[in-house]
Amino acid sequence: MTRLAIILHERNLTYTAVATRAHLQPRTVRQLATGETPIDNVAVGTVRRIASALSVPVTAILEPDLPHPGDATLSRAARLSAAIRELMWSGAPVAYASPVDSAEVDDIATLPADEFFADMPAIDGSRA
Amino acid sequence: MAVGPEVYRAVGESDELSSGDVAFLSLARTRLVGESPPGETYDPLGRIPAYPRPALLALPHGREVAVDAMFGLVVTHSCEIDRQKNLDASADHFDCRLTVAPIVPEPAVHLVGSNGDDQTVSWAAIEANEPVASLFLPPIADVSVLASGVDALPWPRSFADLRGLVTVSRSMVEADRLFGLAPDYLGTLQRQLARFFTWRDLARHELVEALVGRRVVDAIPLNARGDRLRVALTTDDGSSVTVELRVR
Repeated sequence: MTRLAIILHERNLTYTAVATRAHLQPRTVRQLATGETPIDNVAVGTVRRIASALSVPVTAILEPDLPHPGDATLSRAARLSAAIRELMWSGAPVAYASPVDSAEVDDIATLPADEFFADMPAIDGSRA
Repeated sequence: MAVGPEVYRAVGESDELSSGDVAFLSLARTRLVGESPPGETYDPLGRIPAYPRPALLALPHGREVAVDAMFGLVVTHSCEIDRQKNLDASADHFDCRLTVAPIVPEPAVHLVGSNGDDQTVSWAAIEANEPVASLFLPPIADVSVLASGVDALPWPRSFADLRGLVTVSRSMVEADRLFGLAPDYLGTLQRQLARFFTWRDLARHELVEALVGRRVVDAIPLNARGDRLRVALTTDDGSSVTVELRVR
């Protein structure tokens, strides 16, 4: 859940109510609250108007900075821990195209790998 | 259904790279500005999934690069990773790119089907590795068991999404590896890759399926290249398909 969504939920505010105060479209507020549009991707003025409408500092509705691969200010273990915490568990769930594209399952989907590759010739790892 | 202890193995920082390695990576995609996902209609064969919160780099002429920081699964086959080494090439001449699939965690998404319908039930199919485009990654109660030094955190149920394959630097994979797939489950990864590339890129699955049970009445060689021979097959109901055969 985004920080904006948490504030709206805690104050029992609708998207329309905030949008009216901020002179924005309700859809804009909804997209930011649901995370459909990352708040980092909109104009600073839009963020300021929403923060002002909620009487909170701008930083209160910005999302925390995500960990970055290779960040030398953190140890490898700390980087990976932060990444698991921030990327695998947090954030508002977003719509995602399912990989399930057919109701029918092909027969080989359940074959163990040994059977699947049973007739495959041995691979020469040193081939030119 | 695969479970954690059967699927994963610990990977040391100095261990050699392998397919099945899971690492924290920057994955880049080029696209038209704001294209998320491409296309106006659902296309299970061609749609590129959108990932949350990309960093954007503007390019000229309405293009941009979207960069996602996320975990990825190395799918490059081990023999490709080791190829230069096997050929006695120096490390400077090793392949610098590895192919990885983004890892999609359950808490970050709600799956949507072709009609915009919520597909919560899809996870049962994903767990069974039924879709050709995904490899199920089971949850882990405590990641620190596999990755020493990492906090005692759970790893959610997730899948590697083969629709989003990208290439990354092998040095980046080495820098932020978390754990790897156990040898037994690597076979399942390879099976999924074979299904994915055969079903989606090489074969017209529906044409091949339509020929099942038919009698082939004509086979016309079209052209040969190297050890490959393209042949047009015609069946007793008049339908046809072109296949590529490898000559042994």
